[in-house]
Amino acid sequence: MVLMQGLGGNARRWSPVARACASVAILGYLAAVVVPPLAGPAPASDLAGRVLQPLRPLVGALYLGHGYRFFAPNPGPGHTLRWTMTMPDGSLRSGRIPDDTLDRPRLLYHRRFMVSEKISALVPPADAPPEVRERAKRDWQPLVKGVATNLLRREGGLSVTLEKVEHYLPDPAEVLASGTFADAVTPLGSYAWAEPQP
Amino acid sequence: MTAVRSIPGRRAPNRTPAAPVVPSRGWLADWAAAWSGFWFTPSDPLPLAVIRIATGLILAWSSVVWLLDADAFFGDRGWLRPDQVWRVNDQPWQWSGYFVASSPTMIRVVAGLTLVAAILLTIGLATPLAAVVAFLGLVSAANRAPLNVFGLDDTLGMLLVPLVIGPSGARLSVDRLLAGPERGRGGEPSIRATIALRLLQVHLCVVYFFSGAGKLFGASWWEGTALWGAVANDRYRTLDLRGLAGHPLLVNALTLGTLWWEVGYAALVWPRLTRRLCLAMAVLVHLGIGLAMGMMEFGLAMIAANVAFVPAATLATLLHPFTSRFGTSPQPLPGTPSDLP
Repeated sequence: MVLMQGLGGNARRWSPVARACASVAILGYLAAVVVPPLAGPAPASDLAGRVLQPLRPLVGALYLGHGYRFFAPNPGPGHTLRWTMTMPDGSLRSGRIPDDTLDRPRLLYHRRFMVSEKISALVPPADAPPEVRERAKRDWQPLVKGVATNLLRREGGLSVTLEKVEHYLPDPAEVLASGTFADAVTPLGSYAWAEPQP
Repeated sequence: MTAVRSIPGRRAPNRTPAAPVVPSRGWLADWAAAWSGFWFTPSDPLPLAVIRIATGLILAWSSVVWLLDADAFFGDRGWLRPDQVWRVNDQPWQWSGYFVASSPTMIRVVAGLTLVAAILLTIGLATPLAAVVAFLGLVSAANRAPLNVFGLDDTLGMLLVPLVIGPSGARLSVDRLLAGPERGRGGEPSIRATIALRLLQVHLCVVYFFSGAGKLFGASWWEGTALWGAVANDRYRTLDLRGLAGHPLLVNALTLGTLWWEVGYAALVWPRLTRRLCLAMAVLVHLGIGLAMGMMEFGLAMIAANVAFVPAATLATLLHPFTSRFGTSPQPLPGTPSDLP
């Protein structure tokens, strides 16, 4: 880095006190940047978790609680949420989240895609042990209720049934053989308004 | 070949004066001096101004998209009810203006204010206030709709904090035009600019390091097949690259190149010899992700962050054809350190 020798005096220097205060602030900010990805997602050390505790207000306030594990450890299959809705006249309406034919522009598609990806990450496969599925349900069902609420509000339906669809990720040989691939479907339940809607 | 032998008892005359011996200040003092030089050397705010424009444009576009489905993102009966947000956000102090402004009208007011702030940030009008409001708007949206955010929002947060801290409106801005020549050049070397750019540089290194380190857990990255996983995922696909199925060695090369670039970025971006390669690779990787996986906004935001490593003189040269017509060509400031890294 080229230092200030050539600058003459056209830039004011900070006093030692100002530099000391700024240094403390810089160190605090850097700690809030570095510690969250050390502390999670799993696997992570207890030490990092403990160091994070006093930083949590700063991390939360500055929106720094990120793990930065993009496409890690391995790029996995994509997911959609498939829905079928019963309308007030008894007809059925269906769709999926996200829907690349309807969700435009692409950033809107991606924001809706994140709903299905984040909920799907909490839902074990349909063939997982019953106790695993039951335990996980406590985490994902409140979020799926929100999705159902949003769909019923938007479409004006009476009830909606949701499924998680995990899209098969073919390997290169399967693509070269031009095969057809079966997606894995996991039921997420049916939902209706708790009280009549105006 | 001329043989040289020593002559005992005779010393060669000392024709050059000995270099002055600099007394060691001690290890801690050397650290303090290095720290001070790194963070408190004034620098040209031009890179910060370029980052400001890019960030403002991307945030404005993101705000428009939030507004397209505002009730679903921020409403009481949207994707995530306010009382369920804690299930996705587990950090305390995750505040959001949308927790207070939850009616359909107020939701649009808050999102609209963020859009206005992003536009003002882009053109550099009332820049310090615009940067603060833009940051508050970004965090409000991200903390209220955590089911809908992804790497783009993380990156915008990383970009906006330095724009709040540094004099990001000192160059290429309406603020500078309004200040007029009698108020000085407006783009004087600034310690705050250095701190802002340094924070962004270090943050970017942290992002790439953990992104790369996280991939080292995955067998597909070591095997060189991970890129195929991204290509074959039809939920992300915007460019059909399945033809790569017949070129496994190319997939290996692209995967391993991406992996080791990410892992090595934090070390290789600082030396001048490798910096250009690192930055060129960043452009290729992020444009590739943007084009092939439909995340162009994320790709552009990451490229904007990499501008923190581009010397101000280089930016001035690159911008000259565009800015000279308006008489606002950002010439490098005299005596300004032209290469912050």
